[in-house]
Amino acid sequence: MAKLTIENTARVVEAYIGEYASGKSEMAINRALELNKQGRRVTLVDLDTVEPFYTLRPIKKILEEQGLNVISFSHEDAFGLGETGAMLNPRARWALRHEGDVILDIGYGVYGAATLNLVEGIDECPELKVLAVINQSRPMTNSHERTKEYILSLGRVDGLVANTHLGNETVTEVVLQGLNITKEVGEELNLPIVYMAVDEDLWEEMNQISVSVPVKYIKKYMPGAMW
Amino acid sequence: MTTATPAIPKSWYLPSKPHKFCPGCGHGIILKALGEAIDDLGIQDQTIFGCDIGCSLLAWNFFACDSTQTHHGRTNPVMVGIKRARPELICVGYMGDGGGYSIGSQHLLNSAVRNEKITVILCNNTNYGMTGGQMSPTTLPGQKTETSPYGRDPEQTGYPTMGPEFVAAVASDNAYVARATVSKYKQLKKYLKNALTNQIQGNGFSFVEVLSTCPTNWKTNAQQTWAFLEDEMEKQYPVGEFKNPFGKGDN
Amino acid sequence: MARITEQPKKSFLTGNETVAWACLAADAEIMFGYPITPQNEVMHYWTRLAPKYDRSFLQTEDELSAGFTTCGAVQAGKKAFTATAGPGNVLMQEPFGMAEAMRLPTVAVIQQRGGPSSGTVVYSQQEVTLTTFGGNGEGHRIVYSTATHQEIYDYTIKAFNTAWKYRFPVFVLGDGYQAKMREPLELYNPEDRGIEMVKPYPLIGLGGEIGVDREPSHLCNIYSLEEELYEVVMKVSAEYESISPEIEEYEEKNCEDADIIILTHGIVSRAADDAVKALRTQGIKAGYFRPITLRPYPAKQLREAIQKSGAKKLLIAESAYGQFERLTKQEIYGETIQVEHLYMPGVGIIDHDIITKVKSIL
Repeated sequence: MAKLTIENTARVVEAYIGEYASGKSEMAINRALELNKQGRRVTLVDLDTVEPFYTLRPIKKILEEQGLNVISFSHEDAFGLGETGAMLNPRARWALRHEGDVILDIGYGVYGAATLNLVEGIDECPELKVLAVINQSRPMTNSHERTKEYILSLGRVDGLVANTHLGNETVTEVVLQGLNITKEVGEELNLPIVYMAVDEDLWEEMNQISVSVPVKYIKKYMPGAMW
Repeated sequence: MTTATPAIPKSWYLPSKPHKFCPGCGHGIILKALGEAIDDLGIQDQTIFGCDIGCSLLAWNFFACDSTQTHHGRTNPVMVGIKRARPELICVGYMGDGGGYSIGSQHLLNSAVRNEKITVILCNNTNYGMTGGQMSPTTLPGQKTETSPYGRDPEQTGYPTMGPEFVAAVASDNAYVARATVSKYKQLKKYLKNALTNQIQGNGFSFVEVLSTCPTNWKTNAQQTWAFLEDEMEKQYPVGEFKNPFGKGDN
Repeated sequence: MARITEQPKKSFLTGNETVAWACLAADAEIMFGYPITPQNEVMHYWTRLAPKYDRSFLQTEDELSAGFTTCGAVQAGKKAFTATAGPGNVLMQEPFGMAEAMRLPTVAVIQQRGGPSSGTVVYSQQEVTLTTFGGNGEGHRIVYSTATHQEIYDYTIKAFNTAWKYRFPVFVLGDGYQAKMREPLELYNPEDRGIEMVKPYPLIGLGGEIGVDREPSHLCNIYSLEEELYEVVMKVSAEYESISPEIEEYEEKNCEDADIIILTHGIVSRAADDAVKALRTQGIKAGYFRPITLRPYPAKQLREAIQKSGAKKLLIAESAYGQFERLTKQEIYGETIQVEHLYMPGVGIIDHDIITKVKSIL
């Protein structure tokens, strides 16, 4: 029997977790759009309960226009933005009942992967992969030790996404240094680097360099989602 | 005929004496007992005395201890800030019933809930004295004040706040909570000593309400003043220890 | 002194986290706080970091308490700070007033949200009046208005030094956008930059035997007579004015030959900077002036910029309805330059908004 991988499983269910501002939402959006381009039906779920502000809400329409089914608050049902609004979208609770692939964008917070308990049926979901997004430029994950400590605090993690960057000041050197440390930690914790994410603006430079992990070039959507 | 000069506590600050409280006011008695307790425990140099707005303010330089004067109702958070920053200091907040039970009630309640290791002494004289005798949370039903000119009507303004009872209801087991009265000096001093000892030992929150006198605003002569304290107030406000981590008879 | 980074390192942070790291770097010992958006991550990150660096935190019952506990802790001689926004800033004006009166070196980070009242949790520059002149006093306080994450880091560190050196309450005035935005900045240990941190010292709890080694320290903020208060306020005012030139900071670009000077503060300055560059390429002589300190206000430098340029117009752009303009006008009273404004209360301002406004008034 062929080994089940993300590539050949009938249904993709991925949950992106990680440090505050580590790039979870960008990873989730790009992955959802990638699957969507392959002609698959994709539901993208915003499950940020700690900081329900820097979320998919402002770019919901743009993503829907590209064909995604987006479960997140819209302006109309996010009254007060966290001061008075519900933190958990009831539709997110039933996200796994949607047909097709489900990409979950999990907010940061002390509960880590335990936030997934809010999703009905998550325990009985064999396809689920919990992916921790690691940006080595984040102070809480800026060294081998800190990254390891952080990943161990998350609970269930099935793989890592190396996403080291410095926003508009990213250079390939930063990306590659981050990848190396993330890889070392991954090896120590027996966690695969599922892929490395690189800003599409760096494609020309990065394309010249061979790295030992899959590389995904990502388009940044979240700067448009400021609040 | 011989005259006896009452002993002045060592921890009193003599340049600020005679003090500025009205004749017949209970504050002087409470602060005498507090001064003796500080002396007995030998904590004068570590004690930070914090006073509120209201008559308690007049104690701002009462002691030869370091002291700070705050805003109305805000003495508890200032004491909490000092204690959290320097746990070796003995922090004593001093306030009236308005400061503790009305404008600063959220601070009293939450300091007790968090078991802050401070000592709070609250003088209950059933009215806002310094502002001219208005109704306070502890004004007795029927009692006349400048803002309850026909007597306090519990239907309109509620019943008197039972401070130690509410503090005891939320405080942890190693908190010390008591109600004393200036009419029983030895007991008052014992309770204040317990409240300080509880902080010194790092046990927890300590709170003593002291029933006190305010002849100026009650418009009472000496006899009437004492009668109001012992007959009216002590009937409404039972004196005793509500929480005592040292156990009964052990203090 | 704890080192927060081995060598200066570029990192990718949100503004709120930057505050927490800066307070660590500045050797702040204790934070008091109460949850309010958009400053929560200051507490989230301080509470994550504090135990690792032997620092403390207390979540108080409200902002009154957060402000007064901060006052208590600095009286006890510790570097203490708080952070708040909007209605929390309103409540904190009471303790900040005490800090002004008693010359307490408190540090507070304000992440402005929309107002009045609960407003929005998102963004505004509507807490300028409150933060500069809130309370029942004379505004004897120091307010830094930051524009970038690097500045949040730099000025939060500086805030502790200014507070403990001059003993006036110090504010770092940010906003919800800066709080939540993420961008790279360099984290560093102040000593590596040659920044000497001013040592805190107690005002009470001074040690020794009272009556033998020293007199007791009796702090107070109330006076019996008008004249007594008058003496104090006049003395403090004179001192505030005398130290102001050492504290005032500003940023000025392209004002020498400007026909129009664009005056902004805080995050809106980023839009103004871009707008000035764009206008210059289109042949419009625009200048840029930005007070970094809103209290004390760099009025002398702004007057000089106006005079040397001979500019005809001053355009004040702010995410509020005239708070910054009022502050500015009282500071440059007598200047004859024509003042125009772009008020966008509670919403962001981008370069395009400013460019359009400039073209409509030139």
